[in-house]
Amino acid sequence: MDVDPSKILVRYNVAKEKAQTPEEMAAEMYPSAEPANTICAAIFDGEEDDVIEGLEKAIEGGADPVALIDDVLMVGMKIVTDLYDQGVIFLPNVMMSADAMLEGIEFCKEQGGAAPKPKGKVVCHVAEGDVHDIGKSIVAALLRAAGYEVVDLGRDVPVDEVIAAVKKESPMMLTGTALMTTTMYAFKEVNDRLLESGIKIPFQCGGGAVNQDFVTQYELGIYGEEAADAPKMADAILSGKGLAQLKEQFHKH
Amino acid sequence: MVKRYTSLAYKAADDMIFGKSVYPVKAELGLEVGAGYVTGEVNYAPRPEAGVSKEKLVSEYRRLTTDIMARAVQVGFPGIVLETEHVEQMTNNPDWGGEVAHVQKTIMEEYHEEYGIKTALRHTPGDVRENRDLLALIGDKYDVTMESFEAVAEAGADFLSIETMGGKEILDYAILRNDIPGLVYAIGCLGSIDMTMIWSDIRKIADKTGRIAAGDTDCSQANTAMFIAGGLLDKNLAHTIAIIARAISAPRTLAGYEAGAQGPGKDCGYENTIVKAITGCPISQEGKTSTCAHSDVMGNLVMQCCDLWSNESVEYHGEFGGTSVQCWSESLNYDAAMLNVATETGNAKMLRDILVLSDKYRDPQGYVLAYDNAYKVAESIAKDGDNLYLRAKNAAITCCDILNGAEKLTMSKFELGALADAKAALDAMTDEEDTFMSESMEKYKAEVPVFRPEDNYKF
Repeated sequence: MDVDPSKILVRYNVAKEKAQTPEEMAAEMYPSAEPANTICAAIFDGEEDDVIEGLEKAIEGGADPVALIDDVLMVGMKIVTDLYDQGVIFLPNVMMSADAMLEGIEFCKEQGGAAPKPKGKVVCHVAEGDVHDIGKSIVAALLRAAGYEVVDLGRDVPVDEVIAAVKKESPMMLTGTALMTTTMYAFKEVNDRLLESGIKIPFQCGGGAVNQDFVTQYELGIYGEEAADAPKMADAILSGKGLAQLKEQFHKH
Repeated sequence: MVKRYTSLAYKAADDMIFGKSVYPVKAELGLEVGAGYVTGEVNYAPRPEAGVSKEKLVSEYRRLTTDIMARAVQVGFPGIVLETEHVEQMTNNPDWGGEVAHVQKTIMEEYHEEYGIKTALRHTPGDVRENRDLLALIGDKYDVTMESFEAVAEAGADFLSIETMGGKEILDYAILRNDIPGLVYAIGCLGSIDMTMIWSDIRKIADKTGRIAAGDTDCSQANTAMFIAGGLLDKNLAHTIAIIARAISAPRTLAGYEAGAQGPGKDCGYENTIVKAITGCPISQEGKTSTCAHSDVMGNLVMQCCDLWSNESVEYHGEFGGTSVQCWSESLNYDAAMLNVATETGNAKMLRDILVLSDKYRDPQGYVLAYDNAYKVAESIAKDGDNLYLRAKNAAITCCDILNGAEKLTMSKFELGALADAKAALDAMTDEEDTFMSESMEKYKAEVPVFRPEDNYKF
């Protein structure tokens, strides 16, 4: 027994696929001038050695190492994240590109002895009692790729530690991820303790069992359905949006 | 030294069917699994606020168990299995898990005595073998996990299961980098080494307490890949990579049976059809009736060879039709009744094939897991069954070959590109287990800071 699948299902990913390959689309977005073109291509390919080689040549040619971070590395990474947002490339491409870009940034910092100011600071953590941290790792990588400084508290983070870190780092946003229904309950406590301390920053919450209904139960909570929402939320905060506007934008259900 | 499987339990893929296994298992309240009928297995999670104390948790499980059993007799279920997946407090405090198991089993016994309903209780302690930052597979946490198994077994849990984490520290790194050798190392090698250790000890506890060492799943790795891969339009992981991870997970899950598990295998092990082909042991599966917990792209297909049919998990709360556990257990039972009618009327294989064909071409994952292709993966595993590395690599290669030879399955350029890259990576891998293991050890110790092999694996 067999069947003609076209009568019973549609593979919309195939049907909606763009004619151009991701590589072709990326190539059209690279700056035309060198060394930016070559370095951006190396970032897209996730080739760390090629990124460093391109940076070395640029610095030998008189480029300012610190300026290369904003003018070349971040430009190359933005091409990658834009293509990811458009659904053209996959998350592993972003992760490998981010690895290459971050290595490039470290190299430029060593060469130039300074670093450009990040767009903002975000504290990330996994809820107390929860050790499932791949979601948090993705969130942190995407934030770094978008130019934010990330203070990664790790997994199974006690509420006291989250509060202390927020007080110390004064971030623009806090993120929390959890896989389990019982561990995500810690988010409410984090929310209450922040409010008790007079801190009213957006607290982006997401992960396995977390849903919008739960997150809307506490004042600072903004539901992040996708890891990719994290840099978008940070950008929205930078653009001046407050808690109510963030909820309007990100609470999709 | 465990004996590895080097042959299959079934002579042909077509012999595999839902409700029947080569080696059924029987629980004490009359329920048999794999003995000719399918039974619903309802799974649940306590509400967030229930975790604050032992008393609240026990009360939560008392309520939901009573709800399930009451609905079961109201709607005329011939049988029902309950699975309690521990929240961490229940495993880290073995007396908590034991008390919950005791309360649940007492209620189930009362219903069994009054109505004759066949029923069984599965308890799945959490794999708590972790510290704040690192896996801690061997040591104090291992001892706590074993104490939890003893407590729930002594309190009445019929089936003992766990979802182990061995290899996950590498998987989390590799899966986000399309690192195929990393998947083989994480799932096929490290995972199987850990499985061999822990299931040998779970079997001892089961034998000592008169319970059944049921089975494991590669939830922590292959399901991570499947969830990241998501739906057709998600761009987080190529579905061709997700199914390669799934194929590699079959020999990992198999290692649990080699060390003493007897089934029913855990519901979220989408690799279970492959495993059943080799072991002949009964399996639980989840699909279209577990959409309360997560989406997949093969909801009918995975029913094909199930012996228990599960909803994966649902938070305990109210719905229009009763509490959530009542609604979902009722749906499971109607599914099981349909399958059992097919068996009783001689139409089981026809229904199996209808279920398979409704999803087989929906996605690369369903295509490879369809029982005919799953059987081919099983053959490739058994061919080198004595070699943990080679059998995992074989599974991955066979998965790629099946997809490359697929005729009616359409794949996107992304999926095909990822598949081609994966196949090239597999072709470049050595056939020497010792070489692979030593090179991988060196590579990942350098690249993954949380990888502490000496502390976690008995190589």
